[in-house]
Amino acid sequence: MPLVRKTDKGKPRSEANPAEVLKALTQGTQDERWAAARAAAVIAGGVQALATALRTENDSRVREAMFTSLTRIGTPEAVSAILPLLREDDASLRTNALDALRTIPAAVREHLPVLLNDEDADVRILSCELVRGLPTEEATTLLGALLTREPEANVCSAAVDVLAEVGGPSVLPALDACAARFSETPFLRFALKIARDRILSQSSDIHD
Amino acid sequence: MTEFPALTEDEFRKLCDFLYRRTGMVFNEPKRYYVERRVVERMLATSSASFTDYFKRLRADSAGEMERFVNAFTVNETYFNREDHQLKCLTSDLIPQRLRHKKPGELLRLWSVPCSTGEEPYSVALWLLENWPLVDDYEIEIVGSDIDTQVLEAARAGIYGKRALMRLPPSLIDKYFAQLDEQSWQIIAELRESVRFTQVNIVDEEQTRPHGRFDIIFCRNVLIYFDDAARRVAAENLYENLLPGGFICLGHAESMSRISALFDVARFEEAIVYQRPAYQGGSRGE
Repeated sequence: MPLVRKTDKGKPRSEANPAEVLKALTQGTQDERWAAARAAAVIAGGVQALATALRTENDSRVREAMFTSLTRIGTPEAVSAILPLLREDDASLRTNALDALRTIPAAVREHLPVLLNDEDADVRILSCELVRGLPTEEATTLLGALLTREPEANVCSAAVDVLAEVGGPSVLPALDACAARFSETPFLRFALKIARDRILSQSSDIHD
Repeated sequence: MTEFPALTEDEFRKLCDFLYRRTGMVFNEPKRYYVERRVVERMLATSSASFTDYFKRLRADSAGEMERFVNAFTVNETYFNREDHQLKCLTSDLIPQRLRHKKPGELLRLWSVPCSTGEEPYSVALWLLENWPLVDDYEIEIVGSDIDTQVLEAARAGIYGKRALMRLPPSLIDKYFAQLDEQSWQIIAELRESVRFTQVNIVDEEQTRPHGRFDIIFCRNVLIYFDDAARRVAAENLYENLLPGGFICLGHAESMSRISALFDVARFEEAIVYQRPAYQGGSRGE
């Protein structure tokens, strides 16, 4: 029979030397940076080193490993290292940061009120996406409050998109108020109507 | 079945946190009944007087309780030739692509993880023996791995009931199994000895790494038990366990694209699978 049984092929990772890991993060080859990005999750100083290396890393796979290590660490310091990347000019870095933050909703939750009030509209738009993973009541409260004050139609649109999926009926007055404020913005009025209909229909399904 | 009071909210949360940190499996309030039932089983088995008593035993891994606890939480139902379109894809596309990078006689490594009671890795072995004309020209290594040590023992024994064999034609059962009694069949020793079974937790890099790199990994219907954060770690571990250009097959309801951008999508007539890009590591800034 051609099937063969072999013994183990690989070796356990030897104990990472923190200094070498930190150096490899920015100066290694692609494979070395990948390995260092993963090892940095379990060494002292990993958060700061990852945050710094992310600013210059140009390989998407190494970058993903860096974000995963930060979310594995998951401390407030690690979350704080990712949050500023939501305002990066590099779209892929912004998206990677958003994807990473989405995986740790409990750790991100406390930052949302501030993020949804950020002076940068793009940050507010991305932050709406982070609300999607929260329970209905919390998502409804956060995005309902945003709709009552938000001057940018695109931010409202992002919030409405999330509310259409996770919003509860208590947000309906905020939707109506937003529709009145943006009565000259057809795409938003349309989105608000769709969200309103969905929330109402889901609410009636629950009470039937 | 129990005289124990239900877990308090705090106990339930502590237990779920512990299970998540150790295995990556996510259990929450809607799964409370499932969790409590298994905890009560283990409390009875260990003669624990209370949850606090049991949780201390669990955290200390007293008498190997962690392993037994994890075993109680895994779902192990499967059968031979499940999702056989992927087996067809294996011989029509995946292996031929991998062979472009190999010399005749070189080793082809396949990994079934999680393998449960062995139906999947043995299915792969049977499929290759029956459907791949070049099977004698290459060395083929098949490894089956699972976090649950009880199912691994069952896999090594290779004894199956009618339900597990329902997708196999009688001629194959006659050829590769010995009937033990009316209800059970044992896969022949030659096949049992050719598949290696190991324990692994796929969210633990220290456990996945020693398995080395594979040409093809079957990782079906396990990522659905993890949350997004654990899925990303598992995806990176599996990526490291694939040779550049190697393939990973997920369950039909799973999508690697929703978990990670590490892999390319590879579309074939019989199946959509994921591929580790064939690039080689280069120097900084390339």
